[in-house]
Amino acid sequence: MQRRQIWGLFFVLPTVIFFAIFFLYPIVSGLLFSLTDFTLLRPPEWVGLQNYADLLKDRLFLKSISVTLGFVLGTTVPVWILSLLAAKVFYQRFAGREILKVLFFAPVLPSLVVVAIVWRILMNPSGVMTTLLRPFTGLGEIDFFNNPTLSPISMILINDWTTIPFYMLIWLAGLTGIPLELRDAALVDGANRWQSFLRIELPLLRPTAVFVAAISTINAFQAFTLQYAISPGRGGPIDVNTTMGLLIWKYGFQFYRMGDASTVSVVLFALILIVTILQLGLSRGEQYSLE
Amino acid sequence: MTEMTQQAAVRTRPTLGKRFRLWLADLRHHPGQVIWLAIALALAVSFAFPLYFMISSSFKAESEVLAIPVHWTPQDFQGLLNYQRALETVPLARYFMNSFLMAGIDVVVTVIFSAMAGYGFAKFDFPLKRLFFVFVLSTIMVPFQILLVPLFIEIHSLGWDDSYAGLIIPGIMNAFGVFMMRQFAYAIPDELMDAARMDGASEPRIFAQIVFPLLSSASASLAVIIFLFSWNNFLWPLIVIKSQEIMTVPVGITVFTQPHSAQPQWAVAMAVSTLATLPVMLLFVFFQRYFIEGFVLSGLKG
Repeated sequence: MQRRQIWGLFFVLPTVIFFAIFFLYPIVSGLLFSLTDFTLLRPPEWVGLQNYADLLKDRLFLKSISVTLGFVLGTTVPVWILSLLAAKVFYQRFAGREILKVLFFAPVLPSLVVVAIVWRILMNPSGVMTTLLRPFTGLGEIDFFNNPTLSPISMILINDWTTIPFYMLIWLAGLTGIPLELRDAALVDGANRWQSFLRIELPLLRPTAVFVAAISTINAFQAFTLQYAISPGRGGPIDVNTTMGLLIWKYGFQFYRMGDASTVSVVLFALILIVTILQLGLSRGEQYSLE
Repeated sequence: MTEMTQQAAVRTRPTLGKRFRLWLADLRHHPGQVIWLAIALALAVSFAFPLYFMISSSFKAESEVLAIPVHWTPQDFQGLLNYQRALETVPLARYFMNSFLMAGIDVVVTVIFSAMAGYGFAKFDFPLKRLFFVFVLSTIMVPFQILLVPLFIEIHSLGWDDSYAGLIIPGIMNAFGVFMMRQFAYAIPDELMDAARMDGASEPRIFAQIVFPLLSSASASLAVIIFLFSWNNFLWPLIVIKSQEIMTVPVGITVFTQPHSAQPQWAVAMAVSTLATLPVMLLFVFFQRYFIEGFVLSGLKG
């Protein structure tokens, strides 16, 4: 080997070895654990696909899939649309834009545990949210977190509050990358603003859209912290907030059923993979580029 | 605005009154922007409100936080009393030290090793390069929760339960950083390195004295994002940590999310939340440019 090759390896090997130890090894061993009956207390025993067969009969697991899908739906499509609209607003030129953008962006900064604490208070049965909604509902008290219908919706709203400003920033970077001449040319040719948005901007935003869709979906499937910190009994009421992420934690670290927890992880991974591949397939079609 | 004009603007910053008059004049000359200003103001106020409520409630008396009708501002101003109580309720100083330790190590190690690997992938040829790169990149695609159980068992078998090693080491590197540094390292002209090699400089020295300084802007963006990510990281610390001595801020303050006691301390909880968010708020205010660049490049949000 040449000296240059050795130096190349010298620079990359620490990272490669790190990921072999703390990424590749756990991924493979996780797959193997899912085929065993492992509780940390006694050595794992090979059970083949028994865990998977058991999960299909596990009511809590089946419920966690629908809970997760509901959360994914509520924290992706609405977030894409609202964050794009917000980006269109902050793309305009107006006095005071920068300071307002900073204020709008602030919800991205606090940790989800802080977010949970703050919204526990805002969504207290007789708290600020109830007061703000009173003109529409006329109710003196709304129990957001203990009501089985309102509770998952509250989780979605809180999550959207922290993520919309983040995706707004990504869209804004995409919008800023579109040359002004292109839009102006369309307007000169007689297109109205809406047509120019639909025909010029949106196709050019395709790479941004693919990025936003993929990241937000992967993040949504991993929902854990809000459900853990806010929902009554960690996942309640009546398990309407038990996402797959929360179930992994429950099985693995509350009940020490490591085999079952690994099995849920593998299923979650498979779900994310399928949805991501579907999204990439849908987003292919015609390719636009600025060249 | 370019960096230079921005700096010039900072140097000759007009007084607040003058800036306000300029702002008014701008509005008068372009009345069309009023509608955008109004929409943006509504957006900013509604999104920033919960954080305003957090900060203002940290100065309220306990009975005021959930008072009906809502107290929009503190009426029974408590000064720093709730902050003082917070420090007495939980060992907050210890949590802060642990969080700073973890975030600090994460930042330093991620930045240095990402720069090294990014430079290696961008400027060298060696066997298995493609395979290694695809492998490192693939770690971005896999959600952390998939690793949770097997990683915990691995740490357990290493005997790193409930220790700084178990807390910090598994999260010490980030593939996104490698990818980002590689993009920036590509842009460095080969002549710079070649000239140094002619002069007899060693490869580590070329990296430390020529390449790394040229990656400093990328390093700053990576550093602030990794800090935020690490500071707010919750799931892994929740699982590894058992004792108070090594607890980080997000794990330590979960006691305030589900108060089991008959006397919830909401005002204290707000003081704790404000303190927990203060470091990232300050970082954001001072390094906004790097933050935004890092966010746009990364898509990281823990």
